Amino acid sequence: MKNIKYILLMTLLSLVSCSTLEEEPIGILSPEGFFKSPQDVQTVINGSYGNMAKEAFWGRRLSLPLMLRSDMVSIGDKGTPARRIDHDRFTVADDNAMITAFWPTSYQIIAGANEAIAGAESLNLTDEAINPIVAQAYFVRAYTYFHLVQLFGDIPYLDAPVTNIAAASLISKTPQSEVYANIISDLEFAKQWLPNAQPTRALPSKATAAAYLASVYLTLADFPEAYAEAKFVIDNEGTFNLELVADFQDLFDATKQDSQKESLFSIDFNGFSDGDTGRDYQGALTGIRQNQRTDGRLDIGEGWSVAVPTINVYNAWDGRDYRKRVSLDTIGVFRGVVQPFSFFPTASPLNVASAYIAKYSRFPGTVSLGNARGTETNYAQMRYAEVLLIAAEALNEVTPGSAEASGYVNRVRARARNRAGVLTNFPADVTLGINQSDFRNLVLEERKWELAFEFKRWYDIKRRQLGPQVFGPNGLETQTNFDPSRDYLLPLPFDELLRNPNLAPNNPGY
Amino acid sequence: MSKHKFKKLLKTFITGVFIAISTVGYSQQKSVTGTVVSTGDGIGVPGVNVVEKGTTNGTTTDFDGNFTISVANNATLVFSSIGFITKEQSASGVTAMKINLEEDVSALDEIVVIGYGSQRKSDITGSVSSVSSEDLNAFPVLDAEQALQGRAAGVVVQSNNGGEPGAPISVRIRGNTSIGASSGALVVVDGFVGATYPQPADIESIEILKDASATAIYGSRGANGVILITTKKGRVGKTTIELNSSYSSQSTSNQLDLLNAEQFATYQRGINPAYVQGPADTDWQDLIFGNGNIANHQLSFSGGTEDINFYVSGNYFDQKGVVVNSGFERFSFLTNIDAQVTDKLKLGFNAFGSRSNKDGVSTQASSGGRGSGDVISIAYRFAPDLGVLNANGENTFNSVGDDVDNPFAIATERIDETAIDNYRANFYLDYELIENLSFKTTFGFSTLNSTRGTFLPSTLRATAGGVGGIAGVANSKTSNILSENYLTYNKEIGKGNLTLLAGYSYQKTRSDFFTAGAQGFISNSVSFYGLAGGSIPLIPTSSLIETEIQSQFGRLNYDYDDKYLITFTARRDGSSNFAKNEKYAFFPSGAIGWKVSNEEFLRDNKTLSNLKFRASYGVTGNQAIQPYQSLASFESIYAVVGDQTVNAIVPNQLSNPDLKWESSYQTNIGLDLGLFENRVSLTLDYYNIDTKDVILGDTSVPEYVGFLNQTTLKNIGEINNKGFEITLTTKNFSTDNFSWTTDFNWSRNRNEVVKLVNGDDIFLDSSPGHFLQDETHILREGQPVGVFYGYDFRGVNQNGTLPAGTAAFTNNLGDEIFTDLDGSGTITGADRDVIGDPNPDWTAGLNNTFRYKDFDLGVFFQGSIGGDIFNYTALELASGGSNATTEALNAWTPTNTDTNVPSAAVRARRITSRFVYDGSFIRLRNLAMGYTLPQNIAENLGLDNIRFSVSGQNLLTITDYPGADPEVSYQASGNQASNVNQGFDYGNYPNIKSVTFSVNLKF
Repeated sequence: MKNIKYILLMTLLSLVSCSTLEEEPIGILSPEGFFKSPQDVQTVINGSYGNMAKEAFWGRRLSLPLMLRSDMVSIGDKGTPARRIDHDRFTVADDNAMITAFWPTSYQIIAGANEAIAGAESLNLTDEAINPIVAQAYFVRAYTYFHLVQLFGDIPYLDAPVTNIAAASLISKTPQSEVYANIISDLEFAKQWLPNAQPTRALPSKATAAAYLASVYLTLADFPEAYAEAKFVIDNEGTFNLELVADFQDLFDATKQDSQKESLFSIDFNGFSDGDTGRDYQGALTGIRQNQRTDGRLDIGEGWSVAVPTINVYNAWDGRDYRKRVSLDTIGVFRGVVQPFSFFPTASPLNVASAYIAKYSRFPGTVSLGNARGTETNYAQMRYAEVLLIAAEALNEVTPGSAEASGYVNRVRARARNRAGVLTNFPADVTLGINQSDFRNLVLEERKWELAFEFKRWYDIKRRQLGPQVFGPNGLETQTNFDPSRDYLLPLPFDELLRNPNLAPNNPGY
Repeated sequence: MSKHKFKKLLKTFITGVFIAISTVGYSQQKSVTGTVVSTGDGIGVPGVNVVEKGTTNGTTTDFDGNFTISVANNATLVFSSIGFITKEQSASGVTAMKINLEEDVSALDEIVVIGYGSQRKSDITGSVSSVSSEDLNAFPVLDAEQALQGRAAGVVVQSNNGGEPGAPISVRIRGNTSIGASSGALVVVDGFVGATYPQPADIESIEILKDASATAIYGSRGANGVILITTKKGRVGKTTIELNSSYSSQSTSNQLDLLNAEQFATYQRGINPAYVQGPADTDWQDLIFGNGNIANHQLSFSGGTEDINFYVSGNYFDQKGVVVNSGFERFSFLTNIDAQVTDKLKLGFNAFGSRSNKDGVSTQASSGGRGSGDVISIAYRFAPDLGVLNANGENTFNSVGDDVDNPFAIATERIDETAIDNYRANFYLDYELIENLSFKTTFGFSTLNSTRGTFLPSTLRATAGGVGGIAGVANSKTSNILSENYLTYNKEIGKGNLTLLAGYSYQKTRSDFFTAGAQGFISNSVSFYGLAGGSIPLIPTSSLIETEIQSQFGRLNYDYDDKYLITFTARRDGSSNFAKNEKYAFFPSGAIGWKVSNEEFLRDNKTLSNLKFRASYGVTGNQAIQPYQSLASFESIYAVVGDQTVNAIVPNQLSNPDLKWESSYQTNIGLDLGLFENRVSLTLDYYNIDTKDVILGDTSVPEYVGFLNQTTLKNIGEINNKGFEITLTTKNFSTDNFSWTTDFNWSRNRNEVVKLVNGDDIFLDSSPGHFLQDETHILREGQPVGVFYGYDFRGVNQNGTLPAGTAAFTNNLGDEIFTDLDGSGTITGADRDVIGDPNPDWTAGLNNTFRYKDFDLGVFFQGSIGGDIFNYTALELASGGSNATTEALNAWTPTNTDTNVPSAAVRARRITSRFVYDGSFIRLRNLAMGYTLPQNIAENLGLDNIRFSVSGQNLLTITDYPGADPEVSYQASGNQASNVNQGFDYGNYPNIKSVTFSVNLKF
C-alpha cells in the first residue's frame, strides 16, 4: 500500500484540527444578555416568588419558628428535632438549623429582586413601560427585608446584584433604622407604580404596598403614617377590589381561596411541587398523629403533631367564637372511632391532650404528599382584616376613643358572627368609651384570635414587647427561658459571622 | 482518511472474513501422527495447538501429548502452547514425529497490556496487577467487576446495593482520592477509553494500573487507576466452539431476629399501655424474601488463519432475585475480527452489544416517612401484628410510626423497570510505516440508552392512594466518539532497547436526558406506558451535556542490558469541562527499574530466580469538574402565580474562570521477588498519593450574596492516601497427579483529609430523611474521609445517679446516657465527636487451587478487617415507633436493670456510638469443585473438553456484625456520596448465598 502519505496527512490533520474546547451549553441559562423584554424581568421576579414557597422559607423553616416563638403554639412531639424545640423554649443557638436554612433563602429572594431591578434598568424602557412590573421587585425586596429586620435587627443589606464577591464579603451590618428607611422607600416606589389590582393575589398591587407601609409604620410605632396608609387602602377598597370573606371558614378552604378578595398578597401553593420547592408543611406539622380524619381522606392520613397550641389556648379562647371552631381541631378519628382530644395521647404517645391547629389541615385541597404536605393552601401574608385592625390600632394611638377605630374592629367582629350562614351574637361589637390602653389591648387580642397561627403573633409580641407577660406564669405558654434582652432578636448564623467577621458582634446574648 | 478509502478498506476486510470462513475443508494428502513432550521432563504435553503452516488446518494434542493430523506432503507444522516456546517443524517426508517443546524460560515474560501498547511483564516499572480469565470465571457473576473482588491487592470492589440483580458495582484502586469527584477507576476495553465491562467469559485478561508511571498516559483521568481489559481473540487453528452453562440457586445470606406479633404488642404496650394488638402474626421477611436463581449461558466460536482470526460470542444471563419481584435479564454479544491484510497492514474490528432488563424493587430509600420507604427497611420495621390486607381487602399500612404501605404490597405492586441498550464498535488500523516505526489509528463509537419506568398504583394507599397512582418515565442516552492516533518506534541500540510512543486523541461525549410523569389514573392497568391516561401531568425535565477532551501523549521506555529500566510518560489533556483560564493540563511521570537478578553476581543463583526493584513518581488528574460548572448561570425554579406554574428563574452562580482539575502526586516503590524457579513469587508495593487542588465548595462566601449555589467551587482541599500491598503466589505442589497453588493478596490503605477550607469541618448527612438529622458524619483535617460523628453512648440510667462524666437528654430511669464531653452536665450538640471510622484497616484475598488427576478444587476467601458500620436500621428499630429486634426483650425495666438496652420508649433518632459496629468480615466467597472428563472419553463424545463443576458462593461469613450483612453501601451512589458516605446500613438489598452447577464444553 502506498498510502503512507495519506495516513500521515490524516494524522497531521487530526492534530491540526483542534477543538477550541469552548463549552456551549444548551438548556442552561446564561445571565449574559438574558434581559430582552419586560417579560424576562417578570420571570426573574417569579423566581423570588418560587423561593418564598420553598421548604426553606414559608414551607417550614421560617413559618414554623414564627409559630413556635409565639405564645399560641408549642411543641407536641417531644422527640421532634431540637432545632424546632429551641424556638419554642427560647434556647436557640447561633447554629440553629431553622435559621441557617431560611437565612440564605431570604437573601436568594432578595438577590432575585436585585437582579430584576438591574435587568429592568438595562432595558432602557420608559417608566410607564417597565415600572409597573419592576415595582413588584421593589415590593419583594421590601417584604423580605421587613421579615429579616424584625427577626435579626441590624443585617447585611444589599440593593444590587453581587458581581464582586470579595467586596461583598466584607460589608458591615446596616443599622435597622437605615434598613427600615430603605424598606419604606422601596414600598413607596411599589405603591406609586403597582396597578390597583392584579389578576391574582399572588402578585402585589398598589394596595399591598400601602398595607405593608402601614404594617411597617405600625412596627416603627409611627402611628399617624400607619393610620394614613391603612386608611388609604380602606378608603379605596372598591378600587382595590377588597372585601372581607363572608364565612371565616372559607378563608382556610384551599379550594375556595383563589376567588376570594380578602388577601392582599398570598404565597401561592397549588398542590404540586418540585422537590421541596413549592411544598408546604404546615398541615403535616400541625396535624394529629394516627388521625384517620373526620373526612376520611386516607390520602392525607395522620399529621406529625409538631406544632400544637398549649391547652391554655383552648381554655382561654371563648367557646362562642366561631373563629375558635375554625382554627382548632378538638376531635380525631382513631381506628374508626371519633375521639376527643383527651384521647390523642392514647392514640399515639407523640400527641398531646390539646386542641390542634386546623387552619392548614382541615381543607387542604389537593395534596402532593401524605400528612398534608404539599397542599393547595395559600398562605395569606396580609388579609384585609389585618389592614382594618392596623387602622384601628394606629388611630387609637393618634386619636383615642374614636368611633372610627371601633368601627374597623366591628367590621372584623361582624364577619366572625357569621357561623356558616347562621348569624350569632358573638363576638359583640366594641362598645364606645373604652380608654386608650384597653382599646390597644383589645385590638392586640383581636389580632391574636383573628390572625391565630398566621405567623403574625410573634411579631406582635416583639413590637409591643409582650414577652414577659405572655410567657410568664399567667401567659398562655410559660417559658422560663424567655429573656427580653436576648429573645426579641434571633442570632445571625455563626458561620456567616465566620465568613464575614465585619458582621460581628452577634446579637446580644448569643 | 477519505470516506471512499475507508469503504474500500472495509470491503477488503469483509471479503477477507468470508474467504477465511470458506477455506475450511481442504484437500488432504497424508496423515502425520506424533507426540509432543516437554524438554524439561520428557512428559507429554496436552492441549498443544498443532497447525499446518499457512492454513487453518489444525488440531490439538490429547492428554498424553499425542496428535494425528492430515497435511499436505511438504507441509510445515507449527506447535504452540502457553508456557512453551512455539516451534516449527517440517513434515516433509515423514509420517511420525516426536517434538520437544522448550519451556518458556521465564514465565514472567508473559506480555502484559499497558496503555497504548504492551510490554513484557518483567520490563514493567510501574505497579500493575493482573487478573486471569480463570479467576474471573470461577463462578457466575453478572458483571466482570464483581469477579475482581478480592483478586488483586489494592483493589476494592463493592456492590452499591448488596445482592440486587443489576446493582452498580464500584471499583476503587488505592483508596478515595477525591471528595466531590468520582474515585472510580477508568475502564479501557480493547483501547476504548471509558467503555463498559464486557462479559467475564469474553475477557482474556485484565490489567490493573495502579501507580502514576502506569496511569499517567491517561492524564486527567488516571488518578483513580486504570483497568485495562482485553477481550478474547481467535487463534490460528481449527474453529473452536465453547459452551458454558451454569445454573445457580440463591437465598438470602441472613435475616434479622425481630419480634413476633405477641412480643411486639407487649413491647408496644410498654411504650403506650393503650396499644391494641392487631389481628395477624406476619413475618414480613419471610414474605418478601424467597429463593432466587441465575441461569447463565455463553456460546462462543473462535478460530482463524495466519491472515485473519475471529471470535464471536453470545451470552444470556437471567437472574431472579431473592426479593420477591426483582430480577435481571440480559442478552449480549461480542465480535472480534483481526486481519493481517499485508505484511505491514493489520486491521481489526470489535463490536459489543447488550440488551438488559431490570425488574427493580424499592431498596435503600432515601426517606422512610409516609408514602416513601423501601421494601427491605419496611419489612424490618412494619408491625408484625398486621396482615397484608385489612378487613376491607385493602393493603394495610403501618400502625406504629410513620404510616407506610406494607412491604409485600410495595414489592409486588410497585413497578420499576429499566431497559438498557449498550452498543460499542471499535475499528483499528495498524501500519508499519518503515522498519521499527508503526502507526496505529483507532476509531470508536459507543452508545448507552437507558429507559426507566415506574408506576405506583393507587392500591398503595399511603404512597399513591390519594392521587390515583403515579407514573414516570426517565430516559437517558449517552454517546461517545473516540479517535486515537499514535506512532510507536522500537529499536535495539547496542545492549539497549528503546521504545517511543507519541499520539493524539480526541473524545466527545454527549448525554441527553428527559423525564415525564403523570398522576391521577382511572385504572391501575395503564402503568407508565400510558402517561396520557393520567389526569394530571407532572413537570417534565430535560437536559443535554456535551464534553470534549483532546490530548497529546507520549512515552519513552528504555531498557539497558535487560537490567536497567527507565520509563517516562506524559500526557497533555485539554478538556471542555475545565474553566476558561485552565483548559489544558500536563501530567508527567517517570519510573526506574533494576532487575537485580540479571546481574552477573546473581545470574546463576539457584534459589533466587527473579529480583527487581521499581520506583516511580508522577502526576495524574481527576476531571472533578462537572460540565458547565465554571460558567455563570441562572437556574429555573418551580413557581406558582395564580395557581398556575409560571416561568421563573433565580441567580445561580457567578462564573468561575480558574476552576481546574484535581491532581494526584503519587510515589510508588515496589519489589518483585521470585524464588525456586518462580514457584514462589512475591510482589510488594508501597505508595503515597497526595491529592491536591481537591475541589471543595468554598463555604467562605457569605450566604447573603444570594446565589442559589451557596458555595463557590475552589481547588482548595488535600487528601492523602498511603498504603502497602502484598501479592504472593506459591506453587506448593506440582506433580503429574496433584498440584496445589496458593494466591494471596493483602493491602492496607490509610486515608487522611489533609486540608479543608479554612480548616473547617464539613458536616455531612446520609441518614434517611424521616430521621430528621442534620449531621451524621464529617470531614475533618487529620481524620480519614467520612468518619461517623455523634454522641458517645454509655449505657442506661440505672438509678438516677449518673456515672461521672456522663449526662442524658432526659432523666428518666432507663434512658440513654452519654459522655458529657464539655462537662456542662447536660448533653448538647457540643458533646459530639468522632465515633467510628468506616475505612477498613486491611483487606485481603486468599485463593487455593488443588488439582488431583481430573478433579480440581478452589477455595477462595476474601476479607475486610477493621471498618466500622453505622447501622441506621438498628437505630430505627430501637426508636419505639416500629417493630424491634429481639434485643428489645432485654430492655431496661425496673426489674431488669442488668442491661445496656434502654427502656422501651419513643426516642428521638440520634447518631450515637450505640449503633456503630465493627464491620470486619471474612467470607468464603467461593468454594468450587470441578471434574474434567478424561480426554479419551471426551473425544468419544466428539468433544475436545468437557468439565463439570459445582460451587458455592458466600457459603460462610465470619463476622460480629449484628446487621443483615457487613457489606453495606447506603447512600453511596453518585460522585461525592461514593467517597464520603461509607459504612452506612439501611434498606440494603440482602447479600446472597448461592449454589451453582456449571458445565463447560469445548469442541
